[in-house]
Amino acid sequence: MDLAVETSGLTKRYGSLTAVNKLNLQVKRNTIHGFLGPNGAGKTTTIKILVGLLKPNEGSVKVLGKEIHRENAGFLQQWLYEQADSRLSIGYMPELPKFPKHLKGAELLDIYGQMYGMTQQQRKEQIPRLIELVGLKGRENDLIGKYSKGMQQRIGIAQTLLNNPDLVILDEPSLGLDPVGMVEVREVVKEIAKEGRTVLVSSHLLFEVEQICTHVTIINRGTALVSDTLQNVSGMLSGPAMLHVEVTKISPEIVNAVKALPPVSGVVQTGNTLRIQLKTHEDAHAQVSQEITRSGGVIIGMSHKTSNLEDVFIQLIHKDQGGKPQ
Amino acid sequence: MTAARTSTGRPRPSWFTRFWAVVRYEMLWNIRKKKFIGIIILSFVFATLGLILPVVLSSAPIEANPDYVIGVSISSFAFFLFALATAMNSISSEFESGTIVPLLTKPVSRTMVFLGKLFAAFIIILMAYTILYVYTAIGGILIYGPQNNLQLVPFALFGDVISTFIWVSLILAMGALSKNTMIAALVGLGVFLALLISLPIVSVFAGPSPALNYIPGGGAGSGSNAVLNLATGGKSIGTGTDNIGINLINWMLYPSANVSFTKIDLTSIQVGQSTEPAQTVVYTEPISVVASRSLGVAFVYIFVFLFITWLALKRAQILE
Repeated sequence: MDLAVETSGLTKRYGSLTAVNKLNLQVKRNTIHGFLGPNGAGKTTTIKILVGLLKPNEGSVKVLGKEIHRENAGFLQQWLYEQADSRLSIGYMPELPKFPKHLKGAELLDIYGQMYGMTQQQRKEQIPRLIELVGLKGRENDLIGKYSKGMQQRIGIAQTLLNNPDLVILDEPSLGLDPVGMVEVREVVKEIAKEGRTVLVSSHLLFEVEQICTHVTIINRGTALVSDTLQNVSGMLSGPAMLHVEVTKISPEIVNAVKALPPVSGVVQTGNTLRIQLKTHEDAHAQVSQEITRSGGVIIGMSHKTSNLEDVFIQLIHKDQGGKPQ
Repeated sequence: MTAARTSTGRPRPSWFTRFWAVVRYEMLWNIRKKKFIGIIILSFVFATLGLILPVVLSSAPIEANPDYVIGVSISSFAFFLFALATAMNSISSEFESGTIVPLLTKPVSRTMVFLGKLFAAFIIILMAYTILYVYTAIGGILIYGPQNNLQLVPFALFGDVISTFIWVSLILAMGALSKNTMIAALVGLGVFLALLISLPIVSVFAGPSPALNYIPGGGAGSGSNAVLNLATGGKSIGTGTDNIGINLINWMLYPSANVSFTKIDLTSIQVGQSTEPAQTVVYTEPISVVASRSLGVAFVYIFVFLFITWLALKRAQILE
């Protein structure tokens, strides 16, 4: 499996507090991977280990196929890992990023671009494009000290994309943004993924993750509770999905035809509504609708009842903290 | 020639390109800091007063002084102020403000960040002192007439930069250890003031112990009790790390001169009488030893403090 991020038994302790506890995280290449967890779950600590800001106490870490930390590595071996600079291929935006207030927006990008080894010509082409992408055109020559929180967030996104990274790590990218900015960030993330990059995004906004992510890992107390595709995670705890179909006149032929469909596991009739239980979370709207129409029924309305990511998140966290599933 | 490639297949940028980016980052920070500009202005005010006040206060006509410029040295307090303005925010405020996070996730090593910041501080101080010395030289020529030995001014410049760098490296070390600008500034100021006040007192009351020459400051001669013996008479000098520049010039001008360290007989001071107190020569050293020792001592302090700074930065965990 081609992985952009792979951690094994990753552990980070601050004194007696274990922030990350034997975490096994796998992020496939060319996916948008949501990294979810309540406050203090260990998301930011894990991300800081991935970008080299923190050193783990135990475990190994591979980023873009290159080992950046191995358990029990000697001093020289670890030094060699640090020289294999995966940072050249990573774009990272910290939570509420802070940049030097004395620099202008465009200056900051120019200096960071130089650190990535971009030529002056490359910087001249890339920086105006990014400034426009994040909506800072006309403000790029203002000092960052004069930027609002939202503008700092935008320049943060711009610096993340400066080096055309293979792996983009965004820690709470929408924090501090207005609703329009949040939508724009989501669009930017989708665009990044379309270009064949891997995105690891940590967020508290579950609806945002549902809209942009293909895969999700939920962690609590430093341990991964679940890691899978968004579709599988969304449906994993609340039982099978249900379709509620309102039909003008329900006949036994309609009920039997629907029951015979492969994705259907059961049908209950309540008045002129059919409550159809599905075996999987795959979309069965078309098949059900076609079968009812063919059997002579006229559909008035149809709704898909399923658990969403928020339900799963709350149930998982609650269960992990010793409570009963809701 | 093809550029070296990393494991991820991207060309690895040259060390110098990345280093220079860090220097640019730091230089802009230093230049745009208001307090640094304030200190430059203050230094110009002091240099101007030093040039003009003797002329204004003296009723006698101005006498030509061809040695005015090479006798000028930036004061030890100015060394500290420049060091404070340049170094107090350099590392600690990166941690305080959180700007260290995006910086260290760029492909620059912590050693490179340390060296870049250090180099930027060196350039800034060198530039500031060069401007001051050029200003003083032009002013000296205009007021005191043609000047001798102007070619030796770069030695004063070099020595003053080294003297300043003891305080730069101490403040950097405190900043890297505490990650707090206020602690870095206060510890630096405390050490500076303690030595500024205690060294002259110790050298006068306990005598010019050679050990005092190994402590940052004015050395064993900080109580005006070290005399450079010249054919034309004695000239009081400092012998510590604050006097590197002026002593290098003395060494160039008078290579075979000796420095006498004296103990002042405090019991010989008579109240109401203007006679000089009796002094006994405790030991004598060539000016070459005095100058080169202060330079060596300064380098040792700078190396030790910078090593502490580098180690603290290298081992720092970015928690916030």
